[in-house]
This record gives sequence, C-alpha cells and structure tokens, in this order.
Amino acid sequence: MSSPKNQFFNRFLFGGGVLLDLCKWVIFAAVLLVIVHKFWFTIFVVDGLSMEPTIHDKELVVLKRFGTATNVQRGDVLAVKYPGDPDHKKYIKRVIGLPGEKISISDGKVYINNSIHEENYIPFGVITEPNGDNKEWQLSTNEYFLMGDNRPGSNDSRYFGPIEKRFFLGKATTVIYPRFLELK
Amino acid sequence: MAHTLGNPQKGIIGFYKRKFLFFLILFVFVSTGFYIYRYNSYSADDAAKSQPIGAYGQEINISIEDDGNVVVDGSKVKQKVDLLNDYDELRLVVLDNSGKSYGKIRVTLNLPKNVAENTKHEFLGIHGVDGTSSKVGGVNQIIYEATNVSSQATLTVVAQLPKGTVDPPLARKMLKLLEQMKSSYWFIIAALLPLFTFLFLIALLTSEFKQQKIDIPEKEISFPPMAIPPAIVGALYTQKVGPREIAATLIDLALRGDIIIVDRERGFEFGKNKFDQRLLGFEKVLLSKIFSKNIFSGRGEIEQRINNHFYSKKISIVSSGIYTLATRLGYFKVNPQALHAKYRFVGMAAFFIAIGGFVASLLWFTDPAYIIFFWVAMMISALLISILASRMPVRTVIGQDVLSNWLAFKKYLSNPEMMPFSENNQEIFQKYLPYALVLECEAAWARRFAKHSFITPDWFLTEKVGLGLEDFCLSLFPIISYVGRSLAALKEPGFE
Repeated sequence: MSSPKNQFFNRFLFGGGVLLDLCKWVIFAAVLLVIVHKFWFTIFVVDGLSMEPTIHDKELVVLKRFGTATNVQRGDVLAVKYPGDPDHKKYIKRVIGLPGEKISISDGKVYINNSIHEENYIPFGVITEPNGDNKEWQLSTNEYFLMGDNRPGSNDSRYFGPIEKRFFLGKATTVIYPRFLELK
Repeated sequence: MAHTLGNPQKGIIGFYKRKFLFFLILFVFVSTGFYIYRYNSYSADDAAKSQPIGAYGQEINISIEDDGNVVVDGSKVKQKVDLLNDYDELRLVVLDNSGKSYGKIRVTLNLPKNVAENTKHEFLGIHGVDGTSSKVGGVNQIIYEATNVSSQATLTVVAQLPKGTVDPPLARKMLKLLEQMKSSYWFIIAALLPLFTFLFLIALLTSEFKQQKIDIPEKEISFPPMAIPPAIVGALYTQKVGPREIAATLIDLALRGDIIIVDRERGFEFGKNKFDQRLLGFEKVLLSKIFSKNIFSGRGEIEQRINNHFYSKKISIVSSGIYTLATRLGYFKVNPQALHAKYRFVGMAAFFIAIGGFVASLLWFTDPAYIIFFWVAMMISALLISILASRMPVRTVIGQDVLSNWLAFKKYLSNPEMMPFSENNQEIFQKYLPYALVLECEAAWARRFAKHSFITPDWFLTEKVGLGLEDFCLSLFPIISYVGRSLAALKEPGFE
C-alpha cells in the first residue's frame, strides 16, 4: 500500500499530466489570445447610436491597445471606461479636446481655445448643444474632452465631464463588419 | 474499447475517445471565442430622454472606514477605496437604472479623518439628471446632491482623499503595489525568469554530466559486452524508454522465435510463433498489447487498439519494467522514472499555480494587468523544468562503465568499413540489429553488409521476391518504427 502522500503525488502526476497533455494547446492558445486581447488589439461590437453616422449600431470594430495612452490625437475614436462606473460601462467616443485646452459650446458650435472647431464627420445642419448651464470646460494636464458624432443623441463629456487618460481602453481603428471603414 | 456499429472488426462508425476529446476541446474553445465576441460590446451611449420625475426624495449615508472599506446605509459593500499614486479614491455608484425617478437625492459621505477640505469631490450623473452638486458638509463630511433624477439615471459619488486617510491591510497594499509596478519591470521579470531557470537547469545538467562522465573508448569491441535485453541497453544509453526500445524489443522477440513479422503489400501483421516461457515480464506485457486472442494481429487491429485509449496502462508497465530492471542491475542510482517524476511534479505544480495566478490576475487586477506576463514566464519556466529535468543523468559508476563498453560496441556497429566476407555475416547482422537500433546506428550497421549476399530471415515473411538487404531494411524499419512510435506515445502521464 502506498502512503497518502505517495497517492497524492501519483494522482497529481497522472491527473495533471492528462490535463496538460490534452489541453496544453488550448491553454497556450487561450493565454496568447488573452495577451493579444488585453495588450495588442481586440474586436468589439458597438452598441448604440451615439457615433452615427460614422459608426452604426451593431458594427464590429477593431480596437488597438498598444500605445493608446501616449498617442492620442484630436479626432481619434476611443473606447473609454465611463468614469462614473469604470468596471461596468465602456463607451466609444471621439476626442475633441486635448489636455490644457479650453472647450466651449456656443450657438451649436464647438470652440477650442476660443477658435471654432471644424468637424467634417458631423452631417451638415447638425448642431452641438451643451448640457444645461455647462457650456465651458478647462481641461487639466491629464484630461480629454470626448463627444459622440451623433451630437443630439450622445451621452458624453458634456454630461459627465472630461475624462482622464487612465480611463482609456484603446483606439478604434477600423470598422470590419458589415462594411469596411478605416477610422481617421 | 471502441464502440462500433456494424461489423465489430471493421466498424462503420467508430467512437474514439481521443478524437471525441479533441472535438470537445475545440467546441469549448470556439464557444468561448463566440461568447467573448458576443459580449465584448462597448456602448455608443445615447443621451437619456426626459423622464417624468417623482416628487419624493432619497437620502443615502455612506461611511468610509479606517481600513478603506465602505459602508452604505449600515451595510458593508464590496467596493473599497482604491489606492492610487497621488491620492486614494472612492468611485461608488449609488444609483443605476433603478426604475424609480426622484425629485432629489442627497448623499452624505462620512470620512474616517478630518480631511473634507482637502478632498476633491464630484457627483457624476448621466441618463437623465437635471443637476448635480457636491460640497463640504463638515470637517469629515461631504454632501452630494442631485435633482430631478430619472428612472434610468446613473449617479456616482467621487471622492479623492489625501494619501494616508485610509490604512488598508498589508495584503491589499502589497497587491496594489504589484498592480502599480511599471510595465517595464514586469517585462524584465518575464524575460529573466525563464532565462534564469534555463541557465540554472543547464548548469545543473552540465555539472551532473561532468560528474558522471562516460569514457569514450578508443577501441571498438566486436561483440556485445554482456547478454542483456536491447531495451535495457537503450534505457542505459538514453535514460529513456522510447520508440527505439520498443522496436528493438520486437525485433529481439522475432529473433528469439517468439513472434514473426509479416510484410503485406498494404500494411503488416505480427504473428505468434513459439511464445516460450522465458519471456521477461515487460516483454509479456508488450506482446499482450499487440496480440488479442488471434494468432495474427494486423495493422488495423493494432491501430484500433491504439486509438481506443487515451493512454495505455500496459505500455506504462512495459516502460516501468525496463527502468526497474536496469535499476536492479545497478546501472542507476535511483529509478530514473521516479527521479524524473519528482521534477515533473515540481514543473507541473508550478505550471498550474501559474495558470491560477494568470486567471486571478485577470479577475482582480485593473487593466492593463502587466503582472500576467510574470505568470506567463512562470508557465514557460515550469515547462522548461519538465522538459530539461527528464535529461538529468542518474547513472552509477557501474552504469557508466557498462555504458562505456556498450559505446565501444557501438563503434564497431557504426564502423564505416565493410564487414569482411564470412558465412556467419547473415547471423551477425540479425543478432546485433536490435542493439544497433537502441544505440541509434542501425543504418550504419546495415551499410556494413551492403555488398554481401542477403537471405530474408525466417522471422520476416514477405510477398516480395528476391529481397536484398536494402529492400529488407526499407520494409522492416518503417513497420517497427511505426509500431514503436505509436505504442510509446500511449504511455500514461507520470510514466516516461
């Protein structure tokens, strides 16, 4: 009779060996997928209409992770965590204001540092309304101002304020399904 | 055993567990991918439509405890104060899509210290909130207020406390420290851990090999140093029982007249011959794996017996028997199987701990959790331990001496010079062929007889006429190589 210690040893070797032998490629593939998903790129489904007409509801979009935090430019479409519920709510919006800038909304237009901001991705005739009395935001060194392209129907920085860099998830680069569109 | 429909021998539909498991894993993998794809959605969040607002108000009391725990209306909640570099932060959702609308919501946040004046506070509201505000209500109190809150609204209390306001347990501090470590540190650790493991194992192996140095003999010897089964010689030579040892045992059994090997135009067969009582234990078990009740066992039958199982207990016993015999003969300090099993245990335990750590990091650490690179490095290190440790030499001085003699015999077998003509050549070629196989020089051994006349051995039956030595090797080697490899692959995990 082998001792309980030996029995555990043999059972672990056999059971663990079987698991490793049969599942090793699945494990390696899963680990690789997780690393790619978390650190390189991922794909996600857009849920909602606030990025119309650039991105439609239920479209499949590629999100680039690498380098996002250090290379954000005006006009980029970003996936961000909602600062009010970072664990559960993730939004896709466009970068309008960069750190240090003053953003204001007046007469249906967006102003950056008191200069009008031309936005060719918004359909002609669509105006940008502020949220009640909130019409002006001074961004700190770590804050960005984000809005959806569908200005009348977007919940964005006009409502919840500027977003810090730490809430960024990645940069949306391409719509891949059901059409192909490179986002600029 | 395979479950078949139709003729039990031929089987129209075979149920093979290995294939079943493969497709099961594939199914799980694809399903997981689909699940991630389906639920990995980011909201292009719409602005809320106006809602009819209720007339009644709501009061919520929140307290932050000294250790960073949060109590809402007397009940402790899962959320804790988050430890950041410059401040400690509370972001607590107090209302989310509640289905009720409120005229006014007032939240009182009680701090563990008198730091209200130095605390940055904000009340975030979306999806139908007319207005939010926050103000200091006392030395340790902040008041948050929201008006006309819709039933879909989400309200979040934000408080950025000065460092030192809360004093969490050491374990939480340590975890946070790990979480906040720079990504470059994790990349360095991830590169160094497998590298150091590899270098350590190589150093260990080199040191062991130096201590157990095998003298390469200058002279060759033209006969086997001792009469031991070729499988034992193979185990002594490579410290492993693999396809070559199994193949050599089959040829040895054929030479001794226990079995015959039949080469068919399509496939092959093994046939029972005299099956004497002098068979060693591992040889009996090996034959029982190849033969069932019939006198002949064909390729199809052997393949079915192989495919029916994930692993074969019998092949494990064959392997174990060879190791045990070699150890009893005094060739190894300890049974190599037992020693390598210990290393494999360590490697496997580390591998599974790394998988656990990897999953836990994904669940508990905030993205991007660079710590997962440490766990990946640990997985690689664990595999290195499992792979390299099986090469650890454990030969005794006797084992080294005996192996040295066998290497002298290998020199003879692989000598490039042609064998001198002799009427015993045919017998010598066959007799030493199993040893040439385990000493990895069967091709060189066959070349020594290339210019000699050749008669097909009586234990090898073939339909081909006028078989030369080269044809014989081209017929025999693929058969025994295939059977050896297939059977060796069936060893149970935990057996080498």
